[in-house]
Amino acid sequence: MNNMIEIKDLTFEYNREEDGKNIPALSGVDLNIEKGSFTAVIGHNGSGKSTLAKNMNALLLPSGGKVYVNGYDTADESKLWHIRQAAGMVFQNPDNQLVSAIVEDDIAFGPENLGIEPGEIKKRVKESLQAVGMYDYRKKAPHLLSGGQKQRIAIAGVIAMRPECIIFDEPTAMLDPYGRKEVMDTIRKLNKEEGITIILITHFMDEAALADRIVVIDEGKIALDGTPKSVFVQVEKLRKIGLEVPIVTEIAFRLRNKGIHVPEDIISLEEMVNYLCQ
Amino acid sequence: MSIKVENITHIYNEQMPYETTALDHVSVEIESGEFVGIIGHTGSGKSTFIQHLNGLLKPKSGKIYINGIDITEKKVKAPEIRQKVGLVFQYPEYQLFEETVFKDIAFGPSNLGLPQNEIEQRVYEALSLVGLDYREVTDKSPFDLSGGQKRRVAIAGVIAMKPEVLILDEPTAGLDPKGHKEILDMIKKMHKKEKNTIILVSHNMGDIAELSDRIIVMEKGKVVLTGSPKEVFKNADYIESIGLGLPPAMILMRMLKQRGKHVYTDILTIDQAEKQILNLLRSK
Ligand SMILES: Nc1ncnc2c1ncn2[C@@H]1O[C@H](COP(=O)(O)OP(=O)(O)O)[C@@H](O)[C@H]1O
Ligand SMILES: Nc1ncnc2c1ncn2[C@@H]1O[C@H](COP(=O)(O)OP(=O)(O)O)[C@@H](O)[C@H]1O
Ligand SMILES: [Mg+2]
Ligand SMILES: [Mg+2]
Repeated sequence: MNNMIEIKDLTFEYNREEDGKNIPALSGVDLNIEKGSFTAVIGHNGSGKSTLAKNMNALLLPSGGKVYVNGYDTADESKLWHIRQAAGMVFQNPDNQLVSAIVEDDIAFGPENLGIEPGEIKKRVKESLQAVGMYDYRKKAPHLLSGGQKQRIAIAGVIAMRPECIIFDEPTAMLDPYGRKEVMDTIRKLNKEEGITIILITHFMDEAALADRIVVIDEGKIALDGTPKSVFVQVEKLRKIGLEVPIVTEIAFRLRNKGIHVPEDIISLEEMVNYLCQ
Repeated sequence: MSIKVENITHIYNEQMPYETTALDHVSVEIESGEFVGIIGHTGSGKSTFIQHLNGLLKPKSGKIYINGIDITEKKVKAPEIRQKVGLVFQYPEYQLFEETVFKDIAFGPSNLGLPQNEIEQRVYEALSLVGLDYREVTDKSPFDLSGGQKRRVAIAGVIAMKPEVLILDEPTAGLDPKGHKEILDMIKKMHKKEKNTIILVSHNMGDIAELSDRIIVMEKGKVVLTGSPKEVFKNADYIESIGLGLPPAMILMRMLKQRGKHVYTDILTIDQAEKQILNLLRSK
């Protein structure tokens, strides 16, 4: 089985408490996420990204259709622990994800809840903190760390559960430029070196450009799906659904409109510089 | 409305184990009608600094003059300062609380004791300044709006006080590209129309470079650099060394220069970068 996640004709509706109305958030979503891949999910606010993410680790269950995580049907309650262990989640605000007064306790929290024995927990705490480059901070209080550091601790907490897949829901939205870079470097390393499947929801197009694949969600449906190059070429379509393109793609687009034949697949700064210097 | 900050220091949890000097002898002058951008990594003191400008925080030492009046003096009343200097916090939509958009925006003006028709007029004007349709949203619950709309309602609540200085703390954080652009366009439009003083705190170097007349760079509670965007970003290596980035257009130009191309590197916007590249291609 090569798919980490399989989504078949997924529909999801929220039931609003005040008036009992059903709010459709996803409809007819078909999506397979390959093991070891790095997928970015983009879309405007309210398009359904977080709803999709929460359906990927059984925080939400489908109103219609099916979601399989590592082959387990998320609707099968008896598999909940397998699912949550296979697919971890990291959210936007690191402050809401850290629970303990000391970094290493925070990392141990999840494994302890799984009933893992102390020796193994110690080993996992060390490995997880090393994986995010925060081992030196193990005795520190989380609230004294920077935003990027806190987010790396939150990621280490998820890694300690040994997931095969991590779903990140706008993990850099609250960070400064350096914090964003720290977290993106960590995410790429987990994918390349540890082989962890990554799903990254983001509003930053330069972050999405780092993925192998971009899925664009619009009004609860998949609007585009392909490599970053094939997605970012569609500048006008992306604009129409309230998205932007990386600055390099924007410049290439403008040059093309001036009659200059810039190749369509230029999306990174390096590629643009190489093209201009050839 | 001029602002003069003289040598202020702010210490959180003084004489406690977690004592933090958040502002360390900061002096700044801001002229009436100026658009000032503030940058600095998380924890550098930006939020602490701007909360001093509307009297929410008091310095341990130093003076803050707003239009010549020292607001650190006891006899100056906080509401008076807050009416003149409006502050939009980070993630301000979390502070919406009334059941309709109208009531939320009217909250401040009502507290000023203004007559009803004046309040309505202010809500109307504030909504139009933030680009929301009065009839469409006025009776809605703020919670039924999109993220970008909620944030604009929260900003309208501050604007309705008609502040002469408007301070925005990372107003586009967490918004999608469209919401981001809407807020920026709104700020630009307002500054042009009202000619008010604007102080914008942001991590987006492209936005800061494009909008600001002057940039203040903070690091470890100190102002370490100030000047026009060109002057400030000229210190590219230093800016990067304190955990900040450069405007993307400038990064591109610096890379081209490194590869031996004859381009200017003091380029701040995409428009300028486009022109430079066109010149480069034409001279081939
Ligand atoms: N708990 C909820 N109750 C009711 N509606 C919700 C809830 N959460 C999200 N929604 C609605 O579902 C849609 C998709 O939301 P979401 O998945 O959060 O989008 P995104 O993450 O792309 O911003 C939106 O219309 C949103 O208002
Ligand atoms: N309410 C507070 N209590 C204690 N320390 C604080 C408080 N607010 C901020 N600080 C500390 O003051 C310093 C400056 O913080 P802040 O002004 O929020 O910076 P910025 O807005 O640039 O991120 C940081 O070290 C921060 O941890
Ligand atoms: Mg979301
Ligand atoms: Mg701040």
